[in-house]
Amino acid sequence: MENLEDLKILAEQWSHQGIEYLQKIPPTQLYAAIGVLLFTTILLFLSVRLVRRTKSNTVLLSGLSGSGKTVLFYQLRDGSSHQGTVTSMEPNEGTFVLHSENTKKGKIKPVHLVDVPGHSRLRPKLEEFLPQAAAIVFVVDALEFLPNCRAASEYLYDILTNANVVKKKIPVLLCCNKTDKLTAHTKEFIRKQMEKEIEKLRASRSAVSTADIANDFTIGIEGEVFSFSHCSNKVTVAEASGLTGETVQIEDFIREYIKP
Amino acid sequence: MLEQLLIFTRGGLILWTCKEIGNALKGSPIDTLIRSCLLEERSGAVSFNYDAPGAAYTLKWTFHNDLGLVFVAVYQRILHLLYVDDLLSMVKQSFSEVYDPKRMAYDDFDETFRQLRIEAEARAEELRKTKQVGKPVTSVKKQGQVSKPGLEGGNKRVSSEGGSKKDDGDGGNKAKVSTLTNGHSNGNHQMEDDSQETNDLANGKENTSSNVAVDLSKLQKLRSKGVRGRGGVRKTDSIGNKSSKVAEPAKKATKKNRVWDDAAPKQSKLDFTDSIDENGNNDHVDIVAADQGESMMDKEEVFSSDSESEDDDEPGSDEKPAQAKKKGWFSSVFQSITGKANLERTDLGPALKALKERLMTKNVAEEIAEKLCESVEASLEGKKLSSFTRISSTVQAAMEDALVRILTPRRSIDILRDVHAAKEQRKPYVVVFVGVNGVGKSTNLAKVAYWLQQHKVSVMMAACDTFRSGAVEQLRTHARRLQIPIFEKGYEKDPAVVAKEAIQEATRNGSDVVLVDTAGRMQDNEPLMRALSKLINLNQPDLVLFVGEALVGNDAVDQLSKFNQKLSDLSTSGNPRLIDGILLTKFDTIDDKVGAALSMVYISGSPVMFVGCGQSYTDLKKLNVKAIVKTLLK
Repeated sequence: MENLEDLKILAEQWSHQGIEYLQKIPPTQLYAAIGVLLFTTILLFLSVRLVRRTKSNTVLLSGLSGSGKTVLFYQLRDGSSHQGTVTSMEPNEGTFVLHSENTKKGKIKPVHLVDVPGHSRLRPKLEEFLPQAAAIVFVVDALEFLPNCRAASEYLYDILTNANVVKKKIPVLLCCNKTDKLTAHTKEFIRKQMEKEIEKLRASRSAVSTADIANDFTIGIEGEVFSFSHCSNKVTVAEASGLTGETVQIEDFIREYIKP
Repeated sequence: MLEQLLIFTRGGLILWTCKEIGNALKGSPIDTLIRSCLLEERSGAVSFNYDAPGAAYTLKWTFHNDLGLVFVAVYQRILHLLYVDDLLSMVKQSFSEVYDPKRMAYDDFDETFRQLRIEAEARAEELRKTKQVGKPVTSVKKQGQVSKPGLEGGNKRVSSEGGSKKDDGDGGNKAKVSTLTNGHSNGNHQMEDDSQETNDLANGKENTSSNVAVDLSKLQKLRSKGVRGRGGVRKTDSIGNKSSKVAEPAKKATKKNRVWDDAAPKQSKLDFTDSIDENGNNDHVDIVAADQGESMMDKEEVFSSDSESEDDDEPGSDEKPAQAKKKGWFSSVFQSITGKANLERTDLGPALKALKERLMTKNVAEEIAEKLCESVEASLEGKKLSSFTRISSTVQAAMEDALVRILTPRRSIDILRDVHAAKEQRKPYVVVFVGVNGVGKSTNLAKVAYWLQQHKVSVMMAACDTFRSGAVEQLRTHARRLQIPIFEKGYEKDPAVVAKEAIQEATRNGSDVVLVDTAGRMQDNEPLMRALSKLINLNQPDLVLFVGEALVGNDAVDQLSKFNQKLSDLSTSGNPRLIDGILLTKFDTIDDKVGAALSMVYISGSPVMFVGCGQSYTDLKKLNVKAIVKTLLK
């Protein structure tokens, strides 16, 4: 009890001294000091808020040229592909609520969707967006799959062995597009073919000398045939059709990783 | 008569197509335009020709760089519509007023477009009428008529343009893909069937300074020239072609020795290969085990990270650009702070000129630097300057972007993967090394063999250089040192046949890769190019590697374009094999004048697969795109 009272008296003395000291300072200085203090606290607060926002909401649409990424982008955004598309020369970006969810009530977090051009000359653009990606949709043309199988698997292999993807375990959706056509391949077939091709790639790229810097990491388990389940990040397969608007599976995937 | 006019964003969404002329386009001209022209940094060209089965189109385009829109007009190549450029610019202007990033459909633009088209056609017709010089009134009438597409279609075929069929002097540009250079317009009314397929970029310089009465003046010019065309080599080639085709069957006789002008008649025997068996010579040659260390292909690239200093921009350039830059500096600084100005050609001019000269000091061919600058200009014109950036830095960034885009390979250059794929099919992977004299084919062939060996690929060499003295021995020495089999038939044999037998031998003994060495030849030498083409046609190699030295200057453009042209001209099959890749040699001899790489890649479109940077087996590495771009722009 006594200690408490002593402390109280001490505190009062200090407060008295503090107030006297404060009253001695000219007012302008005082206001300036308070201003600076407020400013720095606001800055700190904001930066802490920003840093804390590590949960990005970026989804990348990638794939070979002609697989239907731009059509899917506009389907997801507007519900229609408007008047058609041509080969993209620049990425299409947008932050929006998915079109099918427009009707849902309540505050839904918008998705930052980026459609990266698939042309091989524009491949470096993908590297720019990979660090901020939370999920990747790799679009494959199910109709013209076999002629492009090698190129598609090389592209997918490059994505799966990218440092950002491996370290952050970014989930990848292998989306088979153009499934509305009769002669389109099934997703199982496509998955098996891609696994086979990636297995071959793995063999040729890692049977090389250890200083091969072509890929940052290798994927799969040594000695076993490659399968998507071996990847540390989750790889799933889905079907879609850009022209008819069949994009349910893609939307489910997006919503799984970008919480509304 | 316009086939189609499209407006689309750079991101790929089509915003508007003309619904009046609802003709479906055959093939995919727009996609081909984007892939082979706009993305290849040839957007400074005037127009683009596209051939599909059943149609021959010409495409013209313009950009609105600020809004990121592209306007493309497609029309039949037979017609030579004069109002297209005019129409495109008017459409650009009026559309940019209507454009809204949120809107996706612009149906009300149809009306505007129709009016604009009528205006443009009327204006063109007036111009033509005022400067008309007599005769083909029919052609004028045909093009002047608005609408009535059906009628037009019929009239197209019948033509006084049929008169221009006579002019095959233009070297038959029935090309699959050919682009025109600025200011040089091709005979666009080039129809069919001069069955030559040229892939030519430097056309015969028929200047049409005015757009007007083009048909007529051209017709007259071309008629007078006839077969005796201009454009030098290409025309003589076409003649040479025709005459050679006639001469071929008669020329079944044996090959005669090459007789130089001032040489005394040589002795008969030229084949100095020792008839002694080779076992006796084994002892003298050191057998180099694969222990020379790692080939530099597999080493990590260590390059110094210079800080990007923009302050020392142009140290040694001319006075003029420096002065123009100073004057523009103040205004550009002012503008950079406000950041609102639209970039005009006059603003871009000095910066681009300085950049072009910088590129040329780095040994980029003049023509290539010019085309690149035009392309960058086309992509920047009308764009808004973002705040706090100078014009020069915007231009530099755009140029850097363009250079990276050009040097990034269009297809995968993973040779090992291709080798494995061929292995699965149980065929050997055949690589043919071609190039002019003295660039280092044999040396680099040995380096590639060494590298492949290190990756556990079995290699075989084929000595198809049967002309140069010592070539076969040279390869034999390399083969012995690396312990790989070599297939040789001595000198004075037909290289095509030697290559064929080599590949058969490789299939028999299970080699994975066959490296074929050929004799060096100048691109102008018709018989030698024909022999090369025969070799390639007969053997259908998997990879045709053009070996070029980094020391070459403007000649690189000529070499590559002529090689490609000859290979496509003289090919017998429908799908001619062109140069698939480039091997750049003597890279260690140039310090920072790395421009040859850029010229070669730009002109041929094929990627640089290897870089030879020294004279020993390990001196072979991959091209580092970022380092080259940095060096070029330093």
